[in-house]
Amino acid sequence: MIKKDIILKEVGKIIIPLVQIFGIYIIVNGHLSSGGGFSGGTVLASSLIIMHLIYGEAYVEKNIKKETLIKFISISLIFYAVVKGYSFLSDVYNLPHPALGPVGKIFSAGFILYLNIVLGILVASIFYIIFSIFISKEV
Amino acid sequence: MVKKMRKASAVFITLILIFVLLVGVKDLPEFGNINNPTNNILSQTYLENTVLETGSLNIVSGIILDYRALDTLMEATVLFSGLIVIMLLFKS
Repeated sequence: MIKKDIILKEVGKIIIPLVQIFGIYIIVNGHLSSGGGFSGGTVLASSLIIMHLIYGEAYVEKNIKKETLIKFISISLIFYAVVKGYSFLSDVYNLPHPALGPVGKIFSAGFILYLNIVLGILVASIFYIIFSIFISKEV
Repeated sequence: MVKKMRKASAVFITLILIFVLLVGVKDLPEFGNINNPTNNILSQTYLENTVLETGSLNIVSGIILDYRALDTLMEATVLFSGLIVIMLLFKS
């Protein structure tokens, strides 16, 4: 591994939090403005990819382990399926479900906010893991 | 011999696929016709009712996470199975 420039490292310290905050903004505002789980998740994954390229794989591994990311993916997929199944059933059988709330606020729109967050986590983890597999092996 | 067989079968399968897809294209409705089945009441209904029924200002988000949520679940499952296949193929 070549030794990385100090300018690159210092710029990375500034860029990476901004990119992550922007990704979280896209995910959380998915039901108010354009965006949502998929696009916000790719922005979050790109922040992880920048981190991997600048500081190396060991740095990312120290912060977030691969096993943790795979646990995130599985739990997110199961959570999505269970919550959305409950949402469909609760419409049919009149089970209790969260109120829609005031239109235009963050905590509104029933399950959509939580589904967006779960999708964002899933997409970010999957794209980062695929990237790290492809860059570490010869394809 | 095996290589020639493989190439011939690839060409054969491709020709069959092209034929099937062209048959599908032949039966498509005419482009821009106002009586096409895509010009129905559905889009207008979504535009009017999505904010009331789902509470989501972003209508795309309201559709893909409320009306068509099973489709989004399958998209996520496709991503997940793609990851599993990549991890299997590139296992060290």
